[in-house]
Amino acid sequence: MRVLIVDDEALARAYLVEQLASAEDVEIAGQAANGFDAVKMAEELPCDLMLLDVQMPKLSGFEVMELLGARAPAVIFVTAHDEFAVQAFQIHAVDYLLKPVEPARLQQALQRARERLRDPTPDRAAWSAQLALAARPPGQWLERVVIREGTRVHVLSTQAVDFIEAQDDYLVIAAGEKRYRKQQTLAQLETQLDPSRFVRIHRSFVLNVERMARIEPYAKDSWQVFLSNGSHLPMSRSGYQRLRAVLD
Amino acid sequence: MHPILSSRGRLLAYLLLWVTFGGLLAGIIAVTNEASLQWGELFVMPLAVLMGLQCLPCWYLVRGMTPGEVPAWRMVGTWFGTSFVLLSLWLGAASLWLRVLKSFDLAPIVDPGTLMPLLVFAGFVGVVIAILGLYSEAAGERSREAERRALELRAFAREAEMGFLRRQLDPHFLFNSLNSVAALIGSDATAARRMCLLMADFFRKSLKFSAQQTIALADELTLVETFLAIEEVRFGDRLRRSLEVSEEAMGMQVPALLLQPLVENAVHHGIAHLIDGGEIKVSAKIRGNLLDIIVENSCDADRPASRSTGVGLANVRGRVESMYGTRARMDVENEPERFRVLLALPASSKEAPRARPDR
Repeated sequence: MRVLIVDDEALARAYLVEQLASAEDVEIAGQAANGFDAVKMAEELPCDLMLLDVQMPKLSGFEVMELLGARAPAVIFVTAHDEFAVQAFQIHAVDYLLKPVEPARLQQALQRARERLRDPTPDRAAWSAQLALAARPPGQWLERVVIREGTRVHVLSTQAVDFIEAQDDYLVIAAGEKRYRKQQTLAQLETQLDPSRFVRIHRSFVLNVERMARIEPYAKDSWQVFLSNGSHLPMSRSGYQRLRAVLD
Repeated sequence: MHPILSSRGRLLAYLLLWVTFGGLLAGIIAVTNEASLQWGELFVMPLAVLMGLQCLPCWYLVRGMTPGEVPAWRMVGTWFGTSFVLLSLWLGAASLWLRVLKSFDLAPIVDPGTLMPLLVFAGFVGVVIAILGLYSEAAGERSREAERRALELRAFAREAEMGFLRRQLDPHFLFNSLNSVAALIGSDATAARRMCLLMADFFRKSLKFSAQQTIALADELTLVETFLAIEEVRFGDRLRRSLEVSEEAMGMQVPALLLQPLVENAVHHGIAHLIDGGEIKVSAKIRGNLLDIIVENSCDADRPASRSTGVGLANVRGRVESMYGTRARMDVENEPERFRVLLALPASSKEAPRARPDR
């Protein structure tokens, strides 16, 4: 079993390395000190299991899982926070360990991982949809969106997003001059965004209402929304009603 | 807010006092001028009420000139001038009123030689009584204000203590530190022992300081240093710290555990979000009669807006305000890659009384 250790604290990584030494079938595939390295290493190295911290700079453990999607190895979360456990099991984490990590508990988690690897989660596609939903703390709206572009990872604050457009099977996220492509459905992302700021104005468009400059009627039952940067988006009748509900 | 004009009842009670004053004066006039008491009352009552109304604006002068804060010569001068003006206006009104009464044949033959000096004397007494009365009201108001502030201060001290208790049980600081200890035991037993001692030191100092209202800046900084030393074990060279405090500033008193939450914020909302870490800098110096303290840290330029820092900062601000009122200020500078809290406290090396004298 090849294990990737992800934690931003060197001592926490060293402790896990030390504890893993007693398991004969475990081989350390690598160690990552941040989420970016974790994504890169999980894809490049052959590894079966990831021991993953939740709170790390830039990318959280859940965001790492979202970026890896269906390519993610089996995961055991290791964190000092107990409030993410429900989220962790929603994305089929093998186990959820609390720091300081008890050696016996770690061995137990490894045993569960061995069983999981013999009989991997059958429905990986459905699982990766869950991954995206879990990438935000419970009861909060998404504050940033993670996007992969080849080997690069962008972390985009939702405040920077102007609008989001649905294309065939991906999304285009517009932020200033930049356009990012993300593999997700608009309906799914919409449920994660703060509904007082992001409104579905059209079948294919979600608008950040803070960017709106004015609205002009276009045809019967359709409108055009002009953004503060001069560009415009189409708005449907139901979109108009949703927008009014938010603005009132 | 004017203490008398603030409600109709108070104004009525105040004018009633002046009517009493008028009654006395009417009696004296009747006796000394062989006039009837009814005439005395007719003549004096409107003047007494007028005097009452004239003295009302003096409140603003009273508020502005607290004894002990304004030089005595200025107070004497101001009040001398004010009484002179008030008295002249009042005497003018009195002679006008007398003339009006005479024109309606309502005035008996009175001797201006006895009436005028009597009015001057009575008017003077009235003005002095009014000013003294307003001064006692102002003193009462100040003591009520002081009492309110003391209560508020005690509430904040209690809250800081509770905050500390929460922090003491904070799973994240405690568990992460213990995780470091567990890690070190395997690799570096000496470092593990040092970490245990640091943690004991931190909790002991926090408990001790939380019972005090103010402590020397030097003491607060040893606590901050211990805290950072613990976090340094966790974060390694990602956490860099620097301290620039003048010798003079070290001896100044600051509210106990005021800087600690600021430094904790700096670690958890600043350094912890930076892949390559950053610097926490605490500096303090004396500027005139102020103690300037700055806590600054590097932070991630695209961090999401944080809610929890706001609570910690509001708490610090609340304590500073209730302790020093307008004599202190606190500014927060939130730049993309730098977060800075600037405190300007009155510089004093005098220890404040304990927060809880009643326990």
